Amino acid sequence: MSIVVEGAPLRSAPPPVRGLRLSSRQQSLIGVATILILMPLVFRMDRDKFAPFTELAIWRFLGEGVVLVLLVSTAAILMSLPLAVGLALGRLSTRAAIRLPSIGFIEAIRAIPLLLLIFYVFLSMPRDVQTFIGRETLALTLALMVYTAAINAETLRAGILALDRGQMEAARSLGLTHWAALRYVVLPQALRNTLPPLLAQFTTLVKDTSLGLAISMVELLQRGVIIYQGFRNPMESLYVVGLLYFAVNFILEQASLATQRGGSARPQ
Amino acid sequence: MDLTLLWQGLLVTLQLSLLSIVLSLVIGTVIGVMRVAPLAPVAVFAEGYITFFRNIPLLIVLFFILNGLPASPIGLRLSFFETAVAGLSVYTAAYVAEVVRAGLQSLSRGQLEAARSLGMSWVTAMRFVLLPQTFAAIIPPLGSVFIALTKNTSLASAIAVPELLYQSRVVEARTFNPNILLIAGAMYLAITIPAGAAVNLLESRMSLARTRR
Repeated sequence: MSIVVEGAPLRSAPPPVRGLRLSSRQQSLIGVATILILMPLVFRMDRDKFAPFTELAIWRFLGEGVVLVLLVSTAAILMSLPLAVGLALGRLSTRAAIRLPSIGFIEAIRAIPLLLLIFYVFLSMPRDVQTFIGRETLALTLALMVYTAAINAETLRAGILALDRGQMEAARSLGLTHWAALRYVVLPQALRNTLPPLLAQFTTLVKDTSLGLAISMVELLQRGVIIYQGFRNPMESLYVVGLLYFAVNFILEQASLATQRGGSARPQ
Repeated sequence: MDLTLLWQGLLVTLQLSLLSIVLSLVIGTVIGVMRVAPLAPVAVFAEGYITFFRNIPLLIVLFFILNGLPASPIGLRLSFFETAVAGLSVYTAAYVAEVVRAGLQSLSRGQLEAARSLGMSWVTAMRFVLLPQTFAAIIPPLGSVFIALTKNTSLASAIAVPELLYQSRVVEARTFNPNILLIAGAMYLAITIPAGAAVNLLESRMSLARTRR
């Protein structure tokens, strides 16, 4: 049992509202649209102040931010996977010398705020490190990778534990070594079964890239801040940037739900 | 090493967490109940609230409140601390609402029907029959939501609330020693690990009670 439980990143599709002939996705979208329409009214947003967002240069600037967000989160999740597998197997190891450090690492990383980890990586990185992506981006990606690895390690471990013990026993009795059985029998099944929560972690990652702002990385939110400092339209700019984050995440969440529906049929 | 600032920061972090837990519990319960309401517009609004806040970064919510409330018709001028409480509560309420919604819908339909047929209004039935039953069952998932909230209070440092992370960065800027962050991390750990252990204990107690029943 893991000690710190995450705030349930994966949301299973909620049942639709009774008496409405709409799918739950349509209902979500109508609800969000209501909120998006109400917000400019409640906060008295100015129509003129949306004017900068009719210019192509602004959208290119924001578009680069979206691409950066996607690149950083993809890099972080891909790089985290080997580490997550290692940590999950380490935690399941029968040798205390491997198991205890794995448990310690996973629980410590999960128990501290991500922002603290980002600052720590950023501040303790050598000043003269040469990168083509910039120190801030590198620090953010590394911190996100470590954090995601710790969380996904727990998901994977649960996936491995959920597999029938017979899988391992059958593989061993066929003459596979322990490692070969893990590599060719247990892990592929565990990975496939845990794909939906692993994908859901991507949504969390996209949101968490906004923390790059705190180490002055020019990611999407920072770009919004730059725009509103120039045009003096904080509410309108934050509204547009929030909408972009929402659009990216909503599409990702739908993809994750689709794999949940389609990919979790496990042969048993 | 002088840890006075860190202790002060820890105190602010605890205040921030506790206030936001109470407020998000209230807002989240209301939204969660609205989500299962038999009135379609109410339920769809609640669904929109949950989906919206789960899919945007907390930092945007904080900035939005910081810039928006003074300009809104309410014209509310909040301090940085109050802004952080408001942002954390509104954001976490979406997660609380989802837990409450799942809890309410896991109850047998007969509960609502029996309460209604005894003459209770829908709201009364929710308040006195369904919610009390749900809350016992959803304490563990709520616990993990609140642990995540406690970790999220660190984002308040971005709007100059002198909480634990903010103070540790002040010390870092003076001493150029990033290891101060490890001490701050240990303080966070001292809150979240026991809280997580308590949640797990509750969870296993409850599943035990359920199997015995």
